[in-house]
Amino acid sequence: MLLSAGAAIDKLVPEGTGLLAVGGMHMHNNPMELVRELTRRRRRVRRLLTSPSASLAADLLIGAGLVDEIATAYIGFEHLGLAPAYRRAAESGAINVLELCEAAIVHGLYAGAGGLPFIALPAGLELSDVSSANAEHFRTITDPFTGDRVLVAASLRPDVALIHALAADERGNVFFAGAHFTDRLMAMAAKTVIVQVERMAEAGEISAQPAESVLPGFLVTAVVVAPRGCLPTASHGAYGYDEPALRAYLKLARTEEGFAEYLQVNAMAVAEVTA
Amino acid sequence: MSIAVAAEYSTGELMATVMARQLRPGEVAIMGAVSALPQAACRLAQLTTAPGLWFIAGGSGAVNPHLEPLVASSCDERLLDADAVMTLPDVILVEGRGDLIDVFFAGGLQIDARGNCNLGPVGPWRHPTLRGPGGVGLPFVARAGRVVIYSMSHDRRTFVERVDFVSGPGFPVRPGGLPGGGPSLIVTPLCTMDFDPGTQLARLATLHPGVTLDQVLEATGFAPTIPTKLETTPAPTPEELTILRRLDPAGLLRGGAGR
Repeated sequence: MLLSAGAAIDKLVPEGTGLLAVGGMHMHNNPMELVRELTRRRRRVRRLLTSPSASLAADLLIGAGLVDEIATAYIGFEHLGLAPAYRRAAESGAINVLELCEAAIVHGLYAGAGGLPFIALPAGLELSDVSSANAEHFRTITDPFTGDRVLVAASLRPDVALIHALAADERGNVFFAGAHFTDRLMAMAAKTVIVQVERMAEAGEISAQPAESVLPGFLVTAVVVAPRGCLPTASHGAYGYDEPALRAYLKLARTEEGFAEYLQVNAMAVAEVTA
Repeated sequence: MSIAVAAEYSTGELMATVMARQLRPGEVAIMGAVSALPQAACRLAQLTTAPGLWFIAGGSGAVNPHLEPLVASSCDERLLDADAVMTLPDVILVEGRGDLIDVFFAGGLQIDARGNCNLGPVGPWRHPTLRGPGGVGLPFVARAGRVVIYSMSHDRRTFVERVDFVSGPGFPVRPGGLPGGGPSLIVTPLCTMDFDPGTQLARLATLHPGVTLDQVLEATGFAPTIPTKLETTPAPTPEELTILRRLDPAGLLRGGAGR
Protein backbone atom coordinates (compact mmCIF):
# COMPACT_ATOMS: atom_id res chain seq x y z
CA MET A 1 0.00 0.00 0.00
CA LEU A 2 1.54 3.27 -1.13
CA LEU A 3 0.51 6.15 1.10
CA SER A 4 1.48 9.71 1.91
CA ALA A 5 3.17 10.13 5.29
CA GLY A 6 0.10 11.79 6.75
CA ALA A 7 -2.28 9.13 5.45
CA ALA A 8 -0.04 6.34 6.78
CA ILE A 9 -0.06 7.83 10.28
CA ASP A 10 -3.82 8.50 10.10
CA LYS A 11 -4.67 4.98 9.00
CA LEU A 12 -2.09 2.86 10.79
CA VAL A 13 -0.92 4.55 14.01
CA PRO A 14 -3.85 4.82 16.41
CA GLU A 15 -3.90 7.33 19.25
CA GLY A 16 -2.41 5.66 22.34
CA THR A 17 -0.45 3.00 20.42
CA GLY A 18 0.87 0.52 23.00
CA LEU A 19 4.34 -0.13 21.61
CA LEU A 20 5.74 1.95 18.77
CA ALA A 21 9.20 1.07 17.44
CA VAL A 22 11.21 3.68 15.56
CA GLY A 23 14.25 2.60 13.56
CA GLY A 24 17.55 4.07 12.48
CA MET A 25 20.72 4.21 14.57
CA HIS A 26 22.33 7.33 16.02
CA MET A 27 21.87 10.17 13.50
CA HIS A 28 21.43 7.75 10.60
CA ASN A 29 18.27 6.50 8.86
CA ASN A 30 15.81 8.07 11.32
CA PRO A 31 12.41 8.01 9.53
CA MET A 32 11.96 11.72 10.22
CA GLU A 33 9.15 12.39 7.76
CA LEU A 34 6.96 9.84 9.58
CA VAL A 35 8.06 11.18 12.96
CA ARG A 36 7.20 14.74 11.99
CA GLU A 37 3.75 13.58 10.91
CA LEU A 38 3.31 12.00 14.36
CA THR A 39 4.16 15.31 16.02
CA ARG A 40 1.90 17.28 13.66
CA ARG A 41 -0.99 14.94 14.46
CA ARG A 42 -0.06 14.82 18.15
CA ARG A 43 -0.31 11.02 18.26
CA ARG A 44 0.37 9.83 21.81
CA VAL A 45 2.38 6.63 22.28
CA ARG A 46 2.20 4.60 25.48
CA ARG A 47 5.67 3.07 25.03
CA LEU A 48 8.28 4.08 22.46
CA LEU A 49 10.93 1.47 21.65
CA THR A 50 14.14 2.62 19.97
CA SER A 51 16.98 0.81 18.25
CA PRO A 52 19.98 0.26 20.58
CA SER A 53 21.07 3.87 19.90
CA ALA A 54 18.46 6.49 19.15
CA SER A 55 18.84 10.15 18.33
CA LEU A 56 16.63 12.90 16.88
CA ALA A 57 13.49 10.81 16.21
CA ALA A 58 13.14 9.78 19.86
CA ASP A 59 14.18 13.17 21.24
CA LEU A 60 11.60 14.95 19.10
CA LEU A 61 8.71 12.64 20.10
CA ILE A 62 9.67 12.88 23.78
CA GLY A 63 10.05 16.66 23.65
CA ALA A 64 6.64 16.97 21.97
CA GLY A 65 5.17 15.27 25.05
CA LEU A 66 3.86 12.32 23.04
CA VAL A 67 5.60 9.47 24.89
CA ASP A 68 4.49 8.04 28.26
CA GLU A 69 7.38 5.59 28.55
CA ILE A 70 10.63 5.22 26.64
CA ALA A 71 12.31 1.84 26.21
CA THR A 72 15.86 2.46 25.04
CA ALA A 73 19.55 1.73 25.54
CA TYR A 74 20.81 5.14 24.37
CA ILE A 75 19.41 8.45 23.23
CA GLY A 76 22.03 11.01 22.30
CA PHE A 77 23.92 12.71 19.51
CA GLU A 78 27.37 11.11 19.87
CA HIS A 79 30.08 13.78 19.53
CA LEU A 80 27.46 16.54 19.16
CA GLY A 81 26.07 16.15 22.68
CA LEU A 82 23.37 14.70 24.92
CA ALA A 83 19.68 14.56 23.95
CA PRO A 84 18.13 17.75 25.37
CA ALA A 85 14.43 16.80 25.40
CA TYR A 86 15.10 13.30 26.77
CA ARG A 87 17.25 14.80 29.52
CA ARG A 88 14.58 17.31 30.49
CA ALA A 89 11.78 14.74 30.51
CA ALA A 90 13.75 12.09 32.43
CA GLU A 91 15.24 14.50 34.97
CA SER A 92 11.85 16.07 35.74
CA GLY A 93 10.10 12.69 35.92
CA ALA A 94 7.76 13.63 33.06
CA ILE A 95 8.57 10.35 31.31
CA ASN A 96 9.04 6.82 32.57
CA VAL A 97 12.35 5.29 31.46
CA LEU A 98 12.60 1.56 30.81
CA GLU A 99 16.38 1.33 30.58
CA LEU A 100 17.41 -1.62 28.42
CA CYS A 101 20.70 -2.80 26.95
CA GLU A 102 21.33 -3.60 23.31
CA ALA A 103 21.04 -7.34 24.02
CA ALA A 104 17.59 -6.94 25.59
CA ILE A 105 16.43 -4.88 22.61
CA VAL A 106 17.93 -6.90 19.77
CA HIS A 107 17.41 -10.37 21.25
CA GLY A 108 13.97 -9.24 22.46
CA LEU A 109 13.02 -8.25 18.91
CA TYR A 110 14.39 -11.55 17.66
CA ALA A 111 12.11 -13.30 20.14
CA GLY A 112 9.20 -11.16 19.00
CA ALA A 113 9.90 -11.94 15.35
CA GLY A 114 10.17 -15.67 15.95
CA GLY A 115 7.32 -16.15 18.39
CA LEU A 116 9.69 -16.99 21.25
CA PRO A 117 7.92 -16.22 24.55
CA PHE A 118 11.05 -14.65 26.09
CA ILE A 119 14.78 -14.83 25.57
CA ALA A 120 17.65 -16.04 27.75
CA LEU A 121 20.64 -13.69 27.95
CA PRO A 122 24.34 -14.56 28.25
CA ALA A 123 25.77 -14.94 31.77
CA GLY A 124 27.42 -11.75 32.97
CA LEU A 125 24.72 -9.37 31.73
CA GLU A 126 23.12 -9.58 35.20
CA LEU A 127 26.20 -7.77 36.59
CA SER A 128 25.04 -4.42 35.21
CA ASP A 129 22.22 -2.51 36.96
CA VAL A 130 20.06 -2.60 33.81
CA SER A 131 18.14 -5.72 34.83
CA SER A 132 17.84 -4.89 38.54
CA ALA A 133 16.66 -1.33 37.86
CA ASN A 134 14.07 -2.45 35.32
CA ALA A 135 12.78 -5.60 36.94
CA GLU A 136 9.46 -5.59 35.07
CA HIS A 137 11.31 -6.48 31.88
CA PHE A 138 13.67 -9.14 33.28
CA ARG A 139 13.44 -12.34 35.32
CA THR A 140 15.98 -14.78 36.69
CA ILE A 141 15.02 -18.40 36.12
CA THR A 142 16.65 -21.81 36.35
CA ASP A 143 18.15 -23.15 33.16
CA PRO A 144 16.29 -26.46 32.72
CA PHE A 145 19.36 -28.04 31.10
CA THR A 146 22.17 -27.03 33.47
CA GLY A 147 20.36 -25.92 36.61
CA ASP A 148 22.25 -22.58 36.49
CA ARG A 149 20.53 -19.28 37.25
CA VAL A 150 19.91 -17.40 34.01
CA LEU A 151 18.70 -13.89 33.20
CA VAL A 152 15.82 -13.74 30.73
CA ALA A 153 14.23 -10.73 29.02
CA ALA A 154 10.71 -10.20 27.68
CA SER A 155 10.14 -10.58 23.96
CA LEU A 156 9.36 -7.39 22.06
CA ARG A 157 6.45 -7.31 19.64
CA PRO A 158 5.83 -3.71 18.51
CA ASP A 159 2.29 -2.80 17.48
CA VAL A 160 3.76 -0.51 14.85
CA ALA A 161 7.29 -0.05 13.49
CA LEU A 162 8.41 3.04 11.58
CA ILE A 163 11.59 2.42 9.62
CA HIS A 164 13.52 3.83 6.69
CA ALA A 165 14.92 2.05 3.63
CA LEU A 166 16.38 3.27 0.36
CA ALA A 167 13.74 2.05 -2.11
CA ALA A 168 10.58 -0.03 -2.52
CA ASP A 169 8.50 -1.50 -5.32
CA GLU A 170 4.72 -1.35 -5.70
CA ARG A 171 4.26 -4.67 -3.87
CA GLY A 172 6.02 -3.33 -0.78
CA ASN A 173 9.32 -5.19 -1.22
CA VAL A 174 12.01 -2.86 0.10
CA PHE A 175 15.79 -2.77 0.16
CA PHE A 176 18.31 -1.12 2.39
CA ALA A 177 21.55 0.54 1.31
CA GLY A 178 24.58 0.76 3.58
CA ALA A 179 23.92 -0.47 7.11
CA HIS A 180 20.35 -1.43 8.00
CA PHE A 181 21.08 -1.62 11.74
CA THR A 182 18.17 -3.30 13.57
CA ASP A 183 15.48 -2.08 11.17
CA ARG A 184 14.89 -5.40 9.40
CA LEU A 185 14.53 -7.16 12.73
CA MET A 186 12.13 -4.47 13.99
CA ALA A 187 9.99 -4.93 10.89
CA MET A 188 9.94 -8.71 11.29
CA ALA A 189 8.80 -8.37 14.92
CA ALA A 190 6.13 -5.70 14.42
CA LYS A 191 2.45 -6.24 13.62
CA THR A 192 2.21 -3.14 11.42
CA VAL A 193 5.19 -1.81 9.46
CA ILE A 194 5.45 1.57 7.74
CA VAL A 195 8.58 1.98 5.62
CA GLN A 196 9.69 5.43 4.55
CA VAL A 197 11.81 5.29 1.36
CA GLU A 198 13.82 7.76 -0.71
CA ARG A 199 12.35 6.57 -3.99
CA MET A 200 10.56 3.79 -5.85
CA ALA A 201 12.79 0.95 -7.00
CA GLU A 202 13.59 0.36 -10.64
CA ALA A 203 12.48 -2.87 -12.34
CA GLY A 204 14.68 -5.77 -11.23
CA GLU A 205 16.57 -3.61 -8.73
CA ILE A 206 15.33 -5.41 -5.61
CA SER A 207 15.78 -8.97 -6.88
CA ALA A 208 19.41 -8.04 -7.65
CA GLN A 209 20.09 -7.19 -3.97
CA PRO A 210 21.69 -9.59 -1.49
CA ALA A 211 19.03 -11.45 0.51
CA GLU A 212 19.95 -9.88 3.84
CA SER A 213 19.41 -6.36 2.45
CA VAL A 214 15.81 -7.03 1.45
CA LEU A 215 12.52 -7.05 3.33
CA PRO A 216 9.77 -8.84 1.40
CA GLY A 217 6.47 -7.05 0.91
CA PHE A 218 4.36 -9.40 3.04
CA LEU A 219 6.17 -7.93 6.07
CA VAL A 220 5.41 -4.35 5.00
CA THR A 221 2.04 -2.70 5.64
CA ALA A 222 2.65 0.61 3.89
CA VAL A 223 5.34 2.39 1.91
CA VAL A 224 5.77 6.16 2.08
CA VAL A 225 7.94 7.84 -0.53
CA ALA A 226 9.73 10.76 1.14
CA PRO A 227 12.76 12.01 -0.78
CA ARG A 228 15.34 13.45 1.66
CA GLY A 229 12.87 12.51 4.38
CA CYS A 230 15.52 11.45 6.92
CA LEU A 231 17.08 14.91 7.14
CA PRO A 232 18.67 16.23 9.21
CA THR A 233 19.75 12.63 9.92
CA ALA A 234 21.58 10.63 7.26
CA SER A 235 20.06 8.24 4.75
CA HIS A 236 22.55 5.52 3.89
CA GLY A 237 22.97 5.26 0.13
CA ALA A 238 21.59 8.76 -0.38
CA TYR A 239 23.07 11.51 1.83
CA GLY A 240 24.98 12.18 5.06
CA TYR A 241 23.64 13.85 8.18
CA ASP A 242 23.30 17.63 8.24
CA GLU A 243 25.59 18.53 11.12
CA PRO A 244 24.81 22.28 11.20
CA ALA A 245 21.06 21.50 11.31
CA LEU A 246 21.57 18.97 14.13
CA ARG A 247 23.67 21.50 16.05
CA ALA A 248 20.96 24.11 15.52
CA TYR A 249 18.38 21.68 16.97
CA LEU A 250 20.57 20.92 19.98
CA LYS A 251 21.05 24.63 20.64
CA LEU A 252 17.36 25.49 20.35
CA ALA A 253 16.10 22.46 22.26
CA ARG A 254 18.09 23.42 25.36
CA THR A 255 14.96 25.23 26.55
CA GLU A 256 11.33 24.19 26.32
CA GLU A 257 10.52 27.40 24.44
CA GLY A 258 13.30 26.76 21.95
CA PHE A 259 12.12 23.21 21.46
CA ALA A 260 8.56 24.42 20.79
CA GLU A 261 9.92 26.87 18.25
CA TYR A 262 11.87 24.11 16.49
CA LEU A 263 8.80 21.91 16.34
CA GLN A 264 6.65 24.73 14.99
CA VAL A 265 9.09 25.68 12.24
CA ASN A 266 9.63 22.05 11.28
CA ALA A 267 5.99 21.09 11.10
CA MET A 268 5.29 24.12 8.94
CA ALA A 269 8.18 23.34 6.62
CA VAL A 270 6.88 19.78 6.21
CA ALA A 271 3.37 21.07 5.52
CA GLU A 272 4.68 23.21 2.65
CA VAL A 273 6.51 20.27 1.08
CA THR A 274 3.53 17.92 1.26
CA ALA A 275 0.99 20.53 0.10
CA MET B 1 68.77 3.54 23.73
CA SER B 2 66.83 6.72 23.26
CA ILE B 3 63.56 6.64 21.38
CA ALA B 4 62.66 9.55 19.16
CA VAL B 5 59.75 11.55 20.48
CA ALA B 6 57.47 13.75 18.43
CA ALA B 7 57.84 17.41 19.28
CA GLU B 8 54.21 18.43 19.42
CA TYR B 9 51.14 16.30 19.85
CA SER B 10 47.64 16.68 21.27
CA THR B 11 46.23 14.89 24.33
CA GLY B 12 43.95 12.93 22.00
CA GLU B 13 46.93 11.80 19.95
CA LEU B 14 48.80 10.73 23.08
CA MET B 15 45.76 8.78 24.30
CA ALA B 16 45.31 7.09 20.91
CA THR B 17 48.97 6.05 21.01
CA VAL B 18 48.63 4.62 24.54
CA MET B 19 45.49 2.70 23.54
CA ALA B 20 47.12 1.39 20.35
CA ARG B 21 49.99 -0.06 22.37
CA GLN B 22 47.47 -2.16 24.35
CA LEU B 23 46.55 -4.17 21.28
CA ARG B 24 48.24 -7.34 20.05
CA PRO B 25 48.50 -8.93 16.61
CA GLY B 26 45.46 -10.99 15.64
CA GLU B 27 43.22 -9.81 18.49
CA VAL B 28 39.60 -8.73 18.01
CA ALA B 29 38.58 -5.34 19.45
CA ILE B 30 35.19 -3.64 19.62
CA MET B 31 33.97 -0.14 20.42
CA GLY B 32 30.70 1.81 20.66
CA ALA B 33 29.55 5.38 20.13
CA VAL B 34 31.78 8.48 19.92
CA SER B 35 34.61 6.22 18.95
CA ALA B 36 37.05 8.25 16.84
CA LEU B 37 39.70 7.74 19.54
CA PRO B 38 39.62 3.90 19.78
CA GLN B 39 39.19 3.67 16.02
CA ALA B 40 42.33 5.74 15.56
CA ALA B 41 44.09 3.54 18.12
CA CYS B 42 43.10 0.35 16.29
CA ARG B 43 44.12 1.69 12.90
CA LEU B 44 47.45 2.88 14.32
CA ALA B 45 48.03 -0.50 15.97
CA GLN B 46 47.32 -2.31 12.70
CA LEU B 47 49.99 -0.21 11.01
CA THR B 48 52.59 -0.52 13.78
CA THR B 49 52.65 -3.01 16.66
CA ALA B 50 49.55 -5.15 16.04
CA PRO B 51 49.39 -6.24 12.40
CA GLY B 52 46.44 -8.52 11.75
CA LEU B 53 44.36 -6.86 14.49
CA TRP B 54 40.60 -6.99 13.83
CA PHE B 55 38.26 -4.28 15.03
CA ILE B 56 34.50 -3.86 14.84
CA ALA B 57 33.47 -0.22 14.53
CA GLY B 58 30.42 0.04 16.74
CA GLY B 59 26.92 0.19 15.35
CA SER B 60 28.05 0.32 11.74
CA GLY B 61 29.09 -3.34 11.87
CA ALA B 62 32.18 -2.45 9.83
CA VAL B 63 35.14 -4.77 10.37
CA ASN B 64 38.49 -3.03 9.87
CA PRO B 65 37.18 0.17 8.29
CA HIS B 66 39.86 1.79 6.16
CA LEU B 67 39.15 5.11 7.81
CA GLU B 68 41.08 7.70 5.94
CA PRO B 69 39.98 10.16 7.13
CA LEU B 70 38.51 9.23 10.52
CA VAL B 71 34.81 10.00 10.96
CA ALA B 72 33.06 11.21 14.10
CA SER B 73 29.91 9.06 14.10
CA SER B 74 30.13 5.33 14.84
CA CYS B 75 27.41 4.57 12.26
CA ASP B 76 28.72 6.71 9.41
CA GLU B 77 28.21 5.03 6.04
CA ARG B 78 31.82 5.80 5.12
CA LEU B 79 32.93 3.24 7.71
CA LEU B 80 31.50 0.54 5.44
CA ASP B 81 34.53 0.97 3.22
CA ALA B 82 36.04 -1.87 5.24
CA ASP B 83 37.57 -5.33 5.00
CA ALA B 84 34.14 -6.84 5.83
CA VAL B 85 30.77 -5.73 7.18
CA MET B 86 28.52 -7.51 9.70
CA THR B 87 24.88 -6.71 10.36
CA LEU B 88 24.29 -5.07 13.74
CA PRO B 89 22.25 -8.02 15.12
CA ASP B 90 25.17 -10.29 14.17
CA VAL B 91 27.62 -8.04 16.04
CA ILE B 92 25.40 -8.16 19.12
CA LEU B 93 25.18 -11.95 18.86
CA VAL B 94 28.93 -12.50 18.82
CA GLU B 95 29.50 -9.97 21.61
CA GLY B 96 27.63 -12.48 23.75
CA ARG B 97 29.63 -15.53 22.75
CA GLY B 98 32.34 -14.79 25.24
CA ASP B 99 35.34 -16.19 23.39
CA LEU B 100 35.59 -13.83 20.41
CA ILE B 101 36.10 -10.29 21.70
CA ASP B 102 39.56 -9.77 23.19
CA VAL B 103 39.37 -6.03 23.88
CA PHE B 104 36.29 -3.93 24.64
CA PHE B 105 36.77 -0.14 24.61
CA ALA B 106 34.43 1.37 27.20
CA GLY B 107 33.69 4.79 28.68
CA GLY B 108 31.37 6.54 31.05
CA LEU B 109 30.00 9.77 32.45
CA GLN B 110 31.11 8.21 35.72
CA ILE B 111 33.98 5.76 36.21
CA ASP B 112 34.93 4.36 39.60
CA ALA B 113 37.90 2.74 41.34
CA ARG B 114 36.67 -0.77 40.48
CA GLY B 115 36.33 0.08 36.80
CA ASN B 116 32.53 0.28 36.80
CA CYS B 117 31.26 2.61 34.05
CA ASN B 118 28.00 4.57 34.07
CA LEU B 119 26.46 6.01 30.93
CA GLY B 120 22.93 6.00 32.37
CA PRO B 121 21.40 8.00 35.23
CA VAL B 122 23.65 10.11 37.45
CA GLY B 123 22.02 10.55 40.85
CA PRO B 124 18.88 8.61 41.87
CA TRP B 125 17.77 6.19 39.13
CA ARG B 126 14.18 7.44 38.92
CA HIS B 127 14.95 11.13 39.29
CA PRO B 128 18.47 11.60 37.99
CA THR B 129 20.30 14.89 38.30
CA LEU B 130 21.86 14.10 34.92
CA ARG B 131 20.14 11.70 32.58
CA GLY B 132 23.02 10.14 30.60
CA PRO B 133 22.31 8.72 27.16
CA GLY B 134 22.38 5.05 28.20
CA GLY B 135 24.88 2.22 28.22
CA VAL B 136 24.02 0.54 24.86
CA GLY B 137 26.29 -2.53 24.84
CA LEU B 138 28.32 -1.80 27.97
CA PRO B 139 26.86 -4.76 29.94
CA PHE B 140 28.73 -6.92 27.40
CA VAL B 141 32.10 -5.92 28.92
CA ALA B 142 31.48 -8.92 31.20
CA ARG B 143 31.88 -11.14 28.10
CA ALA B 144 35.08 -9.58 26.75
CA GLY B 145 38.67 -10.64 27.34
CA ARG B 146 39.72 -7.30 28.80
CA VAL B 147 38.30 -3.82 29.02
CA VAL B 148 40.15 -0.62 28.15
CA ILE B 149 38.33 2.38 29.64
CA TYR B 150 38.90 5.82 28.15
CA SER B 151 37.59 9.25 29.02
CA MET B 152 38.24 12.68 27.53
CA SER B 153 37.43 14.23 30.93
CA HIS B 154 39.46 13.72 34.06
CA ASP B 155 37.69 15.44 36.95
CA ARG B 156 35.88 14.55 40.17
CA ARG B 157 32.49 14.38 38.48
CA THR B 158 33.79 11.66 36.14
CA PHE B 159 36.13 9.72 38.43
CA VAL B 160 34.00 8.89 41.45
CA GLU B 161 34.25 6.59 44.45
CA ARG B 162 31.22 4.60 43.32
CA VAL B 163 29.14 5.02 40.15
CA ASP B 164 25.43 5.75 40.68
CA PHE B 165 24.42 3.14 38.11
CA VAL B 166 26.46 0.28 36.69
CA SER B 167 26.16 0.23 32.89
CA GLY B 168 29.40 -1.67 32.37
CA PRO B 169 30.48 -3.81 35.32
CA GLY B 170 34.02 -3.64 36.69
CA PHE B 171 35.55 -5.70 39.49
CA PRO B 172 34.88 -7.96 41.23
CA VAL B 173 34.50 -10.18 38.20
CA ARG B 174 32.51 -13.09 39.51
CA PRO B 175 34.20 -16.46 39.57
CA GLY B 176 32.53 -19.46 38.01
CA GLY B 177 33.05 -19.54 34.30
CA LEU B 178 32.51 -15.94 33.27
CA PRO B 179 34.71 -15.28 30.28
CA GLY B 180 35.47 -11.64 31.06
CA GLY B 181 38.83 -10.74 32.59
CA GLY B 182 37.60 -7.33 33.69
CA PRO B 183 39.03 -3.84 33.29
CA SER B 184 42.71 -3.69 32.41
CA LEU B 185 43.51 -0.02 31.85
CA ILE B 186 42.00 3.46 32.21
CA VAL B 187 43.30 6.14 29.83
CA THR B 188 42.55 9.80 30.61
CA PRO B 189 43.90 13.19 29.50
CA LEU B 190 46.17 13.18 32.58
CA CYS B 191 47.35 9.63 33.19
CA THR B 192 46.88 5.91 32.81
CA MET B 193 45.70 3.60 35.60
CA ASP B 194 45.78 -0.16 35.74
CA PHE B 195 44.27 -2.41 38.40
CA ASP B 196 46.03 -3.94 41.38
CA PRO B 197 45.55 -7.69 40.92
CA GLY B 198 45.24 -8.18 44.69
CA THR B 199 42.75 -5.47 45.63
CA GLN B 200 41.21 -5.13 42.13
CA LEU B 201 41.28 -1.36 42.63
CA ALA B 202 42.55 1.30 40.24
CA ARG B 203 46.26 1.98 40.55
CA LEU B 204 48.13 4.85 38.91
CA ALA B 205 50.35 3.48 36.17
CA THR B 206 51.81 6.45 34.29
CA LEU B 207 51.54 10.22 34.35
CA HIS B 208 51.37 11.96 30.98
CA PRO B 209 54.36 14.21 30.23
CA GLY B 210 54.13 17.44 32.24
CA VAL B 211 51.38 16.18 34.57
CA THR B 212 52.06 16.02 38.33
CA LEU B 213 50.83 13.45 40.84
CA ASP B 214 49.05 16.20 42.80
CA GLN B 215 47.21 17.28 39.68
CA VAL B 216 45.87 13.75 39.17
CA LEU B 217 44.89 13.24 42.82
CA GLU B 218 43.15 16.63 42.84
CA ALA B 219 41.10 15.65 39.79
CA THR B 220 40.18 12.14 40.96
CA GLY B 221 37.21 11.44 43.23
CA PHE B 222 38.72 8.24 44.60
CA ALA B 223 42.16 7.55 46.01
CA PRO B 224 44.02 5.44 43.45
CA THR B 225 46.76 3.13 44.67
CA ILE B 226 50.11 4.83 44.08
CA PRO B 227 53.00 2.57 43.09
CA THR B 228 56.47 3.19 44.48
CA LYS B 229 57.78 4.06 41.06
CA LEU B 230 55.58 6.18 38.79
CA GLU B 231 56.65 6.26 35.14
CA THR B 232 55.92 8.92 32.54
CA THR B 233 53.62 7.89 29.70
CA PRO B 234 55.80 7.40 26.61
CA ALA B 235 55.02 10.16 24.10
CA PRO B 236 54.06 9.32 20.50
CA THR B 237 57.01 8.64 18.23
CA PRO B 238 57.33 10.69 15.03
CA GLU B 239 56.22 7.59 13.08
CA GLU B 240 53.09 7.15 15.22
CA LEU B 241 52.23 10.82 14.92
CA THR B 242 52.73 10.81 11.15
CA ILE B 243 50.28 7.93 10.83
CA LEU B 244 47.71 9.57 13.14
CA ARG B 245 47.91 12.86 11.22
CA ARG B 246 47.40 11.04 7.94
CA LEU B 247 44.33 9.24 9.36
CA ASP B 248 42.95 12.40 10.88
CA PRO B 249 43.42 15.44 8.66
CA ALA B 250 40.25 17.03 10.11
CA GLY B 251 41.81 16.96 13.58
CA LEU B 252 39.20 14.94 15.51
CA LEU B 253 42.02 13.96 17.87
CA ARG B 254 43.15 17.56 18.11
CA GLY B 255 39.80 18.94 19.24
CA GLY B 256 38.61 19.63 15.70
CA ALA B 257 34.91 19.74 14.89
CA GLY B 258 35.20 18.03 11.52
CA ARG B 259 33.26 14.92 10.69
